[in-house]
Amino acid sequence: MTGPVITGAAAVTALGRDLASTRAALAEGRSAVADVEGQDVPARKDRSPAARIVRFSSEPELPKMKARRLDRASLYAVVAAKQALADAGYAMAGLEERTGILLGTGSAGAGPLVELERQMALESPDAASPFLFPYTVANAPASVTAIELGIKGPNVTITQKDAAALNALFWGRMLLADGRADALLVGAADEWNLDYHFAYERVHATRTATRAGFVLGEGAACVLVEEESRARERGAAVRARVASVVMRPAALSPQVRRADAGVLAAAMRAALDEAGVAPSGVGLVHLSRNGVLETDRAEEAALAAVFAAPPRTAAVKEQLGENPFAGAVQLALASAELAERPGAGAVLINAFGAGGNFLCAVLRSA
Amino acid sequence: MYDRRVSTRRVAITGLGAVTSLGNDLETTWKGLVEGRCGIRPITLFDASGFRTQLAAEVRELPDAGVSPRVRRRLSRTDVLGLAAAAEALAASGLDLSRENPLRIGVVLGAGVSGLLDSENDFRALLAHGPRAARPTRVLNQPPDQTTDRIAERWGLLGPRSTITTACSSSATSLGFAADLIRHGLCDVVVTGGADTFARLTHGGFNALRAVDTEPCRPFDRRRKGLTIGEAAGILVFEEEERARRRGAPILARFLGYGITSDAHHMTQPESSGEAGARTIRACLAAARLDPADVDYVNAHGTATPQNDPAETASLKKALGARAKEIPVSSIKSMLGHCLCSAGAIEAVATVLTIARGVVPPTIHYREPDPECDLDVVPNEAREARVRTALSNSFAFGGNSTVVAFGEFPG
Repeated sequence: MTGPVITGAAAVTALGRDLASTRAALAEGRSAVADVEGQDVPARKDRSPAARIVRFSSEPELPKMKARRLDRASLYAVVAAKQALADAGYAMAGLEERTGILLGTGSAGAGPLVELERQMALESPDAASPFLFPYTVANAPASVTAIELGIKGPNVTITQKDAAALNALFWGRMLLADGRADALLVGAADEWNLDYHFAYERVHATRTATRAGFVLGEGAACVLVEEESRARERGAAVRARVASVVMRPAALSPQVRRADAGVLAAAMRAALDEAGVAPSGVGLVHLSRNGVLETDRAEEAALAAVFAAPPRTAAVKEQLGENPFAGAVQLALASAELAERPGAGAVLINAFGAGGNFLCAVLRSA
Repeated sequence: MYDRRVSTRRVAITGLGAVTSLGNDLETTWKGLVEGRCGIRPITLFDASGFRTQLAAEVRELPDAGVSPRVRRRLSRTDVLGLAAAAEALAASGLDLSRENPLRIGVVLGAGVSGLLDSENDFRALLAHGPRAARPTRVLNQPPDQTTDRIAERWGLLGPRSTITTACSSSATSLGFAADLIRHGLCDVVVTGGADTFARLTHGGFNALRAVDTEPCRPFDRRRKGLTIGEAAGILVFEEEERARRRGAPILARFLGYGITSDAHHMTQPESSGEAGARTIRACLAAARLDPADVDYVNAHGTATPQNDPAETASLKKALGARAKEIPVSSIKSMLGHCLCSAGAIEAVATVLTIARGVVPPTIHYREPDPECDLDVVPNEAREARVRTALSNSFAFGGNSTVVAFGEFPG
């Protein structure tokens, strides 16, 4: 058998520090969306909420001593990656050069970056910390994870608005097909940052009591993707098959959150066609829905156009917040759902980001 | 439709564009490079008096972005450079976009700093004078994928799109993604490369790491003290070769392949034995089906930090064997500075021109040989040479290493 399969999955979210607890919380209908409070937060009646990870321990995956020097997105990424490898029963020893990592992000580095800017602006250029600077780069989560786990194969970080995690899978399957690695950790990592929160709030992008919009979230999730023949060779349990990933962008200004239902429907149909799955064969759609009315309504209209009967849907960004990590959580959830209910049909994942960055993926049971 | 098989489709380069500290177009930049001119000068974009160095390779005067004044007001400095270089590359390719299927044209760039300078100005206004003094819409330009979206929007390109953010190897890595889109049948044409500009954060960060030279950087020289930051946009038009040949496109060279690996060593330090870099070079040679003896030139990462240059020299010797000392290896960072996330792109542009025009750009500011960097670094003066196959190295923070290979077009 050939083609990419998922053999392990993990998620670190505001609802749980692993995939099982996140799934349980989602199933109970719990939401991580809460008011942003603290002494640094000026009172304002139209303050946006956020889905933050409030208390987090990196242990047992990463000792506190190591965790202390890391930015938060890197911390979440390392923990998620170690959990995913454990879930896949993947032993790295001897496979370092055949293992790679591709993570999406929309916010990695935000905390160290803002702190460094503050040091330079309020104190002096000399005050800039050399220890913070390396963690201002967007590739810190993937690279810290690679260093921590000894990954020596391809190491890539992608930004593409909310859709970066699916984009990582989009390229990742080519890297596997070309034999550049035998196994890839694919996912995304993000951190919530108060200054970024204020910035999005000031441009009216985020939700408040009086307006619609998305809610910023944070966390990390990843899946271990392998060529099926390799996975079978090592006796791995195949959780799901990556049947397709398609990208059908629109030409929009980068921050415009708008979508044409026809374009979104075409993206979904293309993903189903490439996967060889009829709309009736879809058991679950993980929605892109994040509270932005224009794109949410377009997605709803597109679903009505593609599916004769309304499919079962899940809108986890309503509970976990938006950022590329949420797309990776959907990948992890989908693979777990397919492993548990292989006869329940394929899972379609939508990621319709700002600037016309539209992707869809289809996972099938093994 | 995605074709998972490793295909035989080749990738041709049919257009190039450049905006650098040496000039706002390809020809001026290239002329500067072969004349050994230095684009490094005192910083003008902000007050740099408190930093270790007050030098950088800034783009002097912003080029025309080719958009309406209303759109221009919203663009970051990086967007302007990227749009100008893309316009030049697309014009050179001879593509008539009105006759092309936009779904088959992708955009893949490397980026990182993006509109950070705008955000910094906003942040400082906020800190000094409160929210009323700030311009929040400018903060929206900070995501690294802004310029990618801007280029797609400007020309109505609807093919796959991506932005690679692997620090200093970002735009070299983007070339690999772009080539894969063509090889796997997802695109006929990809606008690729990168744009990145100057900001306090990157300048301050490298100053804090004490990785900068107080004089213009001196790659491979024994007295080198560190890098000088630069800014640039370098855009390449990748096109499926048979198609390019059929339409009579001006094919400058072939993209032969790439290697991407992870050092798994340290966030800022290169692996000093050179083995990590050698693995990336070997991965590139294997993907491009090349032997070390095929390589005629290496456009080095050559940052001029005390750590990079000997590690890179060791990597080249390990991967290329005796060939490493027989061929020219130059660092154009000596002229353009280290353009960070666009460095791989502008160096790829220079590598393609080296092949197409038979001139190897020099490493300038080279005075004292370093026994640990004992390669032919093409000191101070360009050299005519037939270059059939060339590599370009990019090694980044986090151990994100990428090597790309280009070859002569035989047609």
